[in-house]
Amino acid sequence: MTAMEMANFPVLSAILMSTILGLLTIMFIPDDRPKLVKQVSLFWAGVGLVLSIWVYQAYDIEKGGLQFVERYLWVKGLGIYWFNALDGINAPMLLLTSVVLFTGVLTMWDLEVRVKEFFAFMFLLVAGVYGVFISMDLFWIFVWYDVSLFPMYPLIAIWGGTRKEYGGMKLTLYLLAGSALILPGIIYMWVHGGAHTFDIFELQRIGFSADVQKVAFVMLYLGFGILAGVWPFHTWSPVGHVAAPTAVSMIHAGVLMKLGAYGILRLGMTLCPEGLAYWADFMALLATIGIVYGAFVGLAQTDLKYVIGYSSVSHMGIVGLGLSTMTVNGINGAVFQMFAHGVMTALLFSAVGYIYDRTHTKMIPDLGGLSRTLPIASAFFIIAAFAGIGVPFMASFWAELLVFISSVQTYPVRGILAVSGLAVSALFMLRVVQKTFYGEKNERWEHIPDVSLFLATPRIILVGVIIFFGMFPRVILDVIQSAVIPFVGKL
Amino acid sequence: MKEWILFAPELCYTLMALVFFWLAIQKKVDQRRAYFFALALSGVGLVAALLCATQQGMLFFDAYRIDLYSQLFKILLAVGTFLVIFSCSELKGIDGRNHPEFYLLISVCTLGMMMLVSAVELLTIYVSIELSSYSLYLLVSMRRGEDRFVETGIKYFMVGVTASAFMLFGISYLFGVTHTTYIAGISKILPGVITEPAAIVGLVLALSGFFFKQALFPFHVWAPDVYQGAANQVTTYVGTASKMAAAALVIRLVGFSGGESPVFVNVLYALSVLSMTFGNLVAIIQKDIKRLLAYSSIAHAGYMMIGILAMTERGYATAMYYAIAYLVMGYACFMVVMKIADDGHNLEIKELAGLHKRSPLLAMTLMLGLFGLAGIPPTVGFTGKFLVFAAALEKGYLVLTIIAMINATISLYYYLIVIKAAYLLEPLRPYPRVAVDTWTRAMCIILVLGMIYLGIFPDQFVALTEAAARSLP
Repeated sequence: MTAMEMANFPVLSAILMSTILGLLTIMFIPDDRPKLVKQVSLFWAGVGLVLSIWVYQAYDIEKGGLQFVERYLWVKGLGIYWFNALDGINAPMLLLTSVVLFTGVLTMWDLEVRVKEFFAFMFLLVAGVYGVFISMDLFWIFVWYDVSLFPMYPLIAIWGGTRKEYGGMKLTLYLLAGSALILPGIIYMWVHGGAHTFDIFELQRIGFSADVQKVAFVMLYLGFGILAGVWPFHTWSPVGHVAAPTAVSMIHAGVLMKLGAYGILRLGMTLCPEGLAYWADFMALLATIGIVYGAFVGLAQTDLKYVIGYSSVSHMGIVGLGLSTMTVNGINGAVFQMFAHGVMTALLFSAVGYIYDRTHTKMIPDLGGLSRTLPIASAFFIIAAFAGIGVPFMASFWAELLVFISSVQTYPVRGILAVSGLAVSALFMLRVVQKTFYGEKNERWEHIPDVSLFLATPRIILVGVIIFFGMFPRVILDVIQSAVIPFVGKL
Repeated sequence: MKEWILFAPELCYTLMALVFFWLAIQKKVDQRRAYFFALALSGVGLVAALLCATQQGMLFFDAYRIDLYSQLFKILLAVGTFLVIFSCSELKGIDGRNHPEFYLLISVCTLGMMMLVSAVELLTIYVSIELSSYSLYLLVSMRRGEDRFVETGIKYFMVGVTASAFMLFGISYLFGVTHTTYIAGISKILPGVITEPAAIVGLVLALSGFFFKQALFPFHVWAPDVYQGAANQVTTYVGTASKMAAAALVIRLVGFSGGESPVFVNVLYALSVLSMTFGNLVAIIQKDIKRLLAYSSIAHAGYMMIGILAMTERGYATAMYYAIAYLVMGYACFMVVMKIADDGHNLEIKELAGLHKRSPLLAMTLMLGLFGLAGIPPTVGFTGKFLVFAAALEKGYLVLTIIAMINATISLYYYLIVIKAAYLLEPLRPYPRVAVDTWTRAMCIILVLGMIYLGIFPDQFVALTEAAARSLP
């Protein structure tokens, strides 16, 4: 514990407040000023971005542990604390969230329908995401987790596309069903901790008996696993992604699904190491099936967004596999993959969003030869697809490499299966790229203008992030490692 | 002198009833004047209830107990009554000539319920229940319009009277077994004779009567019809204020029983599960929003029972917190319904279409109210559920909690349908803008802030309910 290091300025709360203030200011802008809404949104998203970059670089790797700690008693009778802190695991997640929010706001610059409400709901969603990442108190993690889920319904059902009402309802109910397991799990641990505290680290020190851990872990794993897209609970994810508007898909696939994996890591694995040991084999099995299944189903898709949706299932499987190895490399890789996949999927959805807004189709057979009519828009998609395949010098390369090395060591058969699953997913990504952007040119799309410089900005930022962390993986790996090494030491 | 202060809130409502009795026998009826009288007098009642919050004592040969617990519920009742009367400015559902009678019956009913939360003797309980019930029978059938509304009133009366008869029958058995009508005395003798058939029959029948008032499954059959058939303001009253009295009574009686008998615990367990599941499943198919809220209230009676089931001080405290939460959330939803159906008709869900354009503030209040009922943070509904589950899990009810959470997920489905109508659907024919006056606007903002404040800062209220639970014997 580093309670002594109480920073003078509560920068983590400030990051969270940037979204809540954003939400409040947006609500007070008159309805007929959509332009102003977008500018204000961009401003607050920018504030969040600047603060999270600052906090990321200010995190002291040498010292490790919890930094920027804010800890105040909230509800005395129950032992709920307003407890925020930064460590090597949530620092990259905060960075990811702010990057995706910032680029998401820019991506939606063309939005015309009910602009104010859209950005209000989006900020509420991101407030929940920030809250989960910074909070170290079980109660608040759950509160923020739910806050991040329910704006999804209006966001998808109002501004969405294909089968939006169905997709939105399915997604919301699935994810809330997940929280139906998480909440009893959390309270179960609170009761068995016996000290009436929701503070994660106090509970960790208290420790639980093996039986309690087994029950609690499986509740948390399944509950958060639904959000992390663990097979067989993934079915909401492709449908939801397809239905959602571009920025929501970006945030959702890019950040929200990571909340699930983060929850498994932060709550399940930290508090129930013996439960993890008991269930790790099962986790690895589901993750491997997810990787292979996602890749094969992705092969059969003709809708660009479904392709990305299934590739997400596959890539989130890699995260799960990495976590289940319980090794330094595996967990490092998993956290890095959360970051890398977040940025990459955001870019993919953002690129598809542009194409869909202009052509009003995202069916692969209807497109074709786009690289000649829309060279820049195509370039973004192709770069992201390469990142997904795991081409060297892209961020996901390192992440996937680490996970596969450790998984082949821990679970030889599953590790090799997973690697071959990756080969299939490379195949399907290349197939999509070939059919959509090369091949025969469809005359219908000739008149469409290519991405303007302004609209290219968010995509360029995302490409920059992917390549930067691909070239300098240590910038992120050192941070992650500073938390993972002591963590694995305790397992 | 002290006795009078103990009884002050009840006296206020007696006075209010007398004033409206006098107004009702006047030849001319001034609706505005009646409204302002009612608002002022219920305000006085609320202030009296607040001022008497810390009183303690016994009245009427120890049949009437005043403690923090009863005073807290009296405040809730007074708040509920005040809120209902507040929203009666457009009382179109009831004939203009009958407005003084309407207020008269509301005040008598509140009086009856206030006596109920303090009563600790079976006959006093019975008299209080009947005082409030008969007022409700009349209020429900007062609705202007078609005959089927009168039918609702008659149905409610018939079923209610039957339930009362069973309850009285049960009470007589309890008296026969224990030779006392004081609950404190019964709770001492009953555990010794609980194996005797007469005692079991008596207890079950008596409790059935109370569960009937709370509309717990399977004693709920009256609720959907009454919610639908009564005037919107009366439904609001039945759905918010009268729920408080029922909850108070059940908590007190279960508190007395002490929970030593496993059969009794199992019965409550089963009722809780059935009530939640049945209420939520049937609510899914409802088209009329008041019926939907009726079924949802059946489900909420089940959630509240989870806290009561814990049978610890914390459990009772959380059930009380849940009652407070339900009062606020339920009123928020009903208020939106009353404002949209300002001519007093029954509102269908599809009529909410385009509400976000017709009145963004009402739409937001409705959304928060419904999310609260579904138990989504950061609203008070979530905190209420969280506390109730924490109390239940402390006693090891893991399965019950998971069932309740699954139910909360099911309930989200039908709440989302309503929210979808308000935020997403475009109206088939253009509905007029909803006229929202300044007072309603202020009330909306108070409710929205209240729901969030109670949700995020529960500390003081948790302490208050725990203190109230400690005052239970």
